[in-house]
Amino acid sequence: MIKNQTIIYLNNAATTWPKPPEVLKAARQSLDLPIFGSGRTTGSQGEDYITLAREAVAGLLAADPPEHVIFTQNATDSLNLLIQGFFAGCETGCHVLTTALDHNSVLRPLYELERQGRIRLTVLPFEEGVVHPDTVEAAITPDTRIMVMTHGSNVLGSVQDVSRIGEILRDHGVYFMVDGAQTAGHIPVNLQALPVDAYVFTGHKGLLGIPGTGGFYIRHPEPIAPTRYGGTGTDSFSLFQPLDMPERFEVGTHNYPGLAALAAGVNFIMSTGVPAIAEKAERQTAFLIRELEEEPNITIHNEHPALPIISFNIQGIENDDVGFILARAYGVIARTGLHCAPLVHRVIDGGAGSVRLSLSWFTTDEECRIAARAVREIAKNAYSQVSSS
Amino acid sequence: MKEFLLSEPIPEGFFAYIENFGKVEALPNLGEGFYKFDKPDWFSIKGFVGDTSVEVRFKKEVMNLTTGFVYLLFTSYREGPADLSQLKRREEAIGKRVREHLYGPD
Repeated sequence: MIKNQTIIYLNNAATTWPKPPEVLKAARQSLDLPIFGSGRTTGSQGEDYITLAREAVAGLLAADPPEHVIFTQNATDSLNLLIQGFFAGCETGCHVLTTALDHNSVLRPLYELERQGRIRLTVLPFEEGVVHPDTVEAAITPDTRIMVMTHGSNVLGSVQDVSRIGEILRDHGVYFMVDGAQTAGHIPVNLQALPVDAYVFTGHKGLLGIPGTGGFYIRHPEPIAPTRYGGTGTDSFSLFQPLDMPERFEVGTHNYPGLAALAAGVNFIMSTGVPAIAEKAERQTAFLIRELEEEPNITIHNEHPALPIISFNIQGIENDDVGFILARAYGVIARTGLHCAPLVHRVIDGGAGSVRLSLSWFTTDEECRIAARAVREIAKNAYSQVSSS
Repeated sequence: MKEFLLSEPIPEGFFAYIENFGKVEALPNLGEGFYKFDKPDWFSIKGFVGDTSVEVRFKKEVMNLTTGFVYLLFTSYREGPADLSQLKRREEAIGKRVREHLYGPD
């Protein structure tokens, strides 16, 4: 349908696009020379991309020390490593908290542990997009060991009060893992100030890197046992996994092009400024919501998102069809369905799924205008169909 | 889900034709006209008039039984009045096997 038309990419909560030119250049340049990873070569002419990326991420998130920033493949990989590592050293049957806002990257590892009889899981409800700290406190039992929760909902764009929740959990000695897949790079995150034990990020969303990188910051690594073993380029005489950081969790050859790109993405964010990124996103998101609110048959699931994420449904037309029409007739790329967060949808749309528009720093005002017009046209047509049937 | 690439743009009459075999919903004022065909337990087809591709979603448990019928729908369409008798017999035969596969013998 769309012929030679530039696409309007509004699926940035899945993966941001486009990437800054610096990011693509860094990935390409990292392969111009052989890899000079510390402890793995006699060469020393190349950039140490791993350290560059580690220091860049640590700087952006105020994570100290940088060696406690661990690189993985993505946020899901990080959450699996942290959750499995925590329960490797935990007694069977302990209590775990999570929320109905969470992504399958959190839910599936936890539900699997519950199915194996290794944990007792409580999923906390949300109201108006947020899990109230009082709800968390009320759910804590003497055997609660850990809470894993999203920082920002990938469906509703709401940001959770992890500061207050973290204080409550700390008072009760509960380990606190936060999934920052949707917040890193979008809003200011200060891990020195936030009372979280582990904070997970991914490289290819708000941090503007390329797919294949992610990681986590861990304040005190001791409660998390390594669950991967192998070469680290250090302490090679030992046949056991080094417990120093970051070798405790990072094994095998790193993703050098990915980490070079991640460092460049984070540096782009630092030079642009997270407050500037957040301000632009807030303005454009508010514009889109105002526009969509004009149509009576559009239901917006959170009219005040703190992240540039807008989920909605149009009465009289399935979300999947809206996405199809947006893409084919208008060149607007959205995402439809459950967004890998099935429990949210049980509450907001009866499990049917929604249409999601998500913005990035590179989204233009004109793209927002075109997208808003397209959604409104679909809604008007769907409304006339419903009315005439 | 499969994307079917067609040699010619879809005419509006195609969706009227396949309505003989399932339910068609339309939003004719969007683009050149958005159409969606649904044949429960078999497959759905969605696309735009004038486009050269459509999206087909199969019920995967019986996809091996129903895929051929999608091709028949596309290849049998002609402008003007159509003799549906042969295709209806085929639909009935496949439908019996689909029901048996999904719900057991009658």
